[in-house]
Amino acid sequence: MTDFFANFLNPEKRLFIGYLISAAFIALIWLRIVQKKPLTNIVSGFLNSNVWFSKSAIADYKLIVLNQFFIKLLAPILIGQLALTLFVFENMHLLFSRPSASIPVWMVMLIFTTVLFILDDFSRYLLHRLMHRIPLLWRFHKAHHSATNLTPLTVLRTHPIEAVLFSIRAVIVHSFCLGVCFFFFAGSVSLIEIFGSSMFVVVFHSLGSNLRHSHVNLSYWNWLEKILVSPAQHQLHHSINPKHYDCNFGAILAIWDNLGRSCMVSEKHQNIEFGLKGQSEKAHNLKNLIIGS
Amino acid sequence: MFKNRFTAKAVPLTVVLTSAILISSSAFARSNVYADFPITLKGYSGSATTSTSYKGQMARHALESSLKKLISKGDMSAMQSYYSGDDANRAIIAPVTKGDFLIMQSTIGELSNKNLSGKTYKGLIPGWPGNMTGPEVAVFMFEKAADAEGGYDAAHAYDYTQLVSKFLMGAVMYNQAVDNYLDEKLEADTKPNNKPYKDGAAYTGKEHVWDEAFGYFGAPSHTLTLSAQDVYNIAKQKDVTAADFNYDGKVDLYKEMAFGHAYYASSFDKGGKTTYLHDIVGAYMDGRDMLVAANASALSDSQRDQLKAYAQVIKTNWEKVIAEAVFKYAGETYEDMVKIEAILESNGDVAKEWRNYSKHWGELKGFALALQVGGKDMGAVSVKLNRLIGHSPLLLGNTQVIGLDSSGNYVQSDSETWGGYMVHMLKVQNLMVDEFAVVAKSHDQTAGLSELVESLGAKSSAEND
Repeated sequence: MTDFFANFLNPEKRLFIGYLISAAFIALIWLRIVQKKPLTNIVSGFLNSNVWFSKSAIADYKLIVLNQFFIKLLAPILIGQLALTLFVFENMHLLFSRPSASIPVWMVMLIFTTVLFILDDFSRYLLHRLMHRIPLLWRFHKAHHSATNLTPLTVLRTHPIEAVLFSIRAVIVHSFCLGVCFFFFAGSVSLIEIFGSSMFVVVFHSLGSNLRHSHVNLSYWNWLEKILVSPAQHQLHHSINPKHYDCNFGAILAIWDNLGRSCMVSEKHQNIEFGLKGQSEKAHNLKNLIIGS
Repeated sequence: MFKNRFTAKAVPLTVVLTSAILISSSAFARSNVYADFPITLKGYSGSATTSTSYKGQMARHALESSLKKLISKGDMSAMQSYYSGDDANRAIIAPVTKGDFLIMQSTIGELSNKNLSGKTYKGLIPGWPGNMTGPEVAVFMFEKAADAEGGYDAAHAYDYTQLVSKFLMGAVMYNQAVDNYLDEKLEADTKPNNKPYKDGAAYTGKEHVWDEAFGYFGAPSHTLTLSAQDVYNIAKQKDVTAADFNYDGKVDLYKEMAFGHAYYASSFDKGGKTTYLHDIVGAYMDGRDMLVAANASALSDSQRDQLKAYAQVIKTNWEKVIAEAVFKYAGETYEDMVKIEAILESNGDVAKEWRNYSKHWGELKGFALALQVGGKDMGAVSVKLNRLIGHSPLLLGNTQVIGLDSSGNYVQSDSETWGGYMVHMLKVQNLMVDEFAVVAKSHDQTAGLSELVESLGAKSSAEND
């Protein structure tokens, strides 16, 4: 269970308590000032037991507990990271000259942090898109989309196989980035960090990333939603309505969706029903989530 | 009740305390200086006052150091003389007096009139072209050095000064110690401890076998009173106070100088990550103390097992010292290649960097050859090492020496790309880590990469979008 609680204490995780508080604060401002909802409605909405103890939310919790054990099995994938990084570093020699002059550390940090952020975000988009488009992968990913109530904890409603795929993705991206950057900048490679986590990740999470999985339809200006994915856009991604299918695969940046013609901006006062069309209540059973109905 | 409990515990406690005292007293019993061990032989009637003797080994160190200087002079007859001659008046060319670092001896004969050829490993040297034995490789290198200006063949990037020196340190000193004295000469029927090493000698068979092995390592006799940095400074002739153990104002090459692999052990240990020098000399000291205690009686099987255990400590650590050197020079060769590539890209003159590249590769190759003459079948490791390094450095135009023609000329062929050969150097470093567990890792080209992966790599997560 230590790993479970680490989710709330580690600024690298989306469920870090600081991000949850900032998300609640942003939601409060949005709902009270922009949408002008009464404060009592907002507070009761936050604490609505019909959401937190719904069959959907309880299914989230079950999968979270299951994944705490399963995630231990991912250790060998992470161990392979050093070998893969070395492989990338060595093969860079066959393509490029190793620079002999050093460049300022701050510049190395900026380059590494930015490249890692962009590649990480793009690969998330790409794999997410494949999870939808390839029928075999959809069988695993639909466990996430069967959620009919979204809470910040829904971020961990993940089929174990999908957790493996995303871990492999992370290992490949990090190894590639580290191998390439180590080749060009040697030991001065490091991350611009805030609270021990990448500055981009901290900024993204601090600005309400947890509202993506919630009923708070925080949207941005349309032009901004073509660059950054807003919580309301991600809620469209979870919509049961076929006209919203296969949109907004992006994690942070919407430019990938824009390029892939899958970007859909949010609708004013959108009221989305979440889940899968035609799914029964049994979709929330752990057995169905893992092996399908 | 209390009395019973006390008595019951007192017995094992007494045993523990007694054992601890015995163990600690045996640890304190280790001599500090590898010199003046008493004569234990019964009935010895000569004039010697000690059974310790390894002057011949220190003479060979002086020959090797002098030969290293001679290579750059290109005088074939002088090289032959120091390698295989028998003139006792051959001057010690290195080390010589430098400032207040006064060297006691000036000729080889003042140490012991020896040569190197008789003690060079006679087996095949697989990492060098031409299917030659150790002595053949040495003479071949002398001939090539004599033909090249200053012992340096820029066209093939061969630095014979380094190649010869590092190769002979392996093929003579390392091989003699670990494949002869610390190997078959520790057997019961070879040089037994209850007989003189030879008629009239002041030492037993095993005492002298052990002393000769110690001499080949090249450590000062008072190493255990010194730090690794001190021994390093002695080898560099920078600290006469550390060297002059008997305060006679001179440095005795027999007892007070640091040579060969002992110097390299000190160079790695001074970084603080390893203790090769003191582990090796400590094991020599323990073995010698044990032989004094044996008092010229034939060693029992268990005593010989103990002596072999000390020998194994020496062998293992000595091998690691050479592997550390291979690691270091693979790293330096890699660094030279980075510089050369950058200069070539800006159309600059690479002469200086090419010289460094040749020097560091020469040291890499010399130590790599040395690593393979310890009498141990290294199997696939040897094959990998020789293939990765090749018979020469990678030359401009991406060629390498692949062999010799019938006249002994080098034959070149297309080889790796520049970047490809740099990867070979990385793989040599990996090989030394994987097979010899090197720790000092000087000039580590992937230093910090594992820490970077650890701190910045992917973490397990089940987060979903």
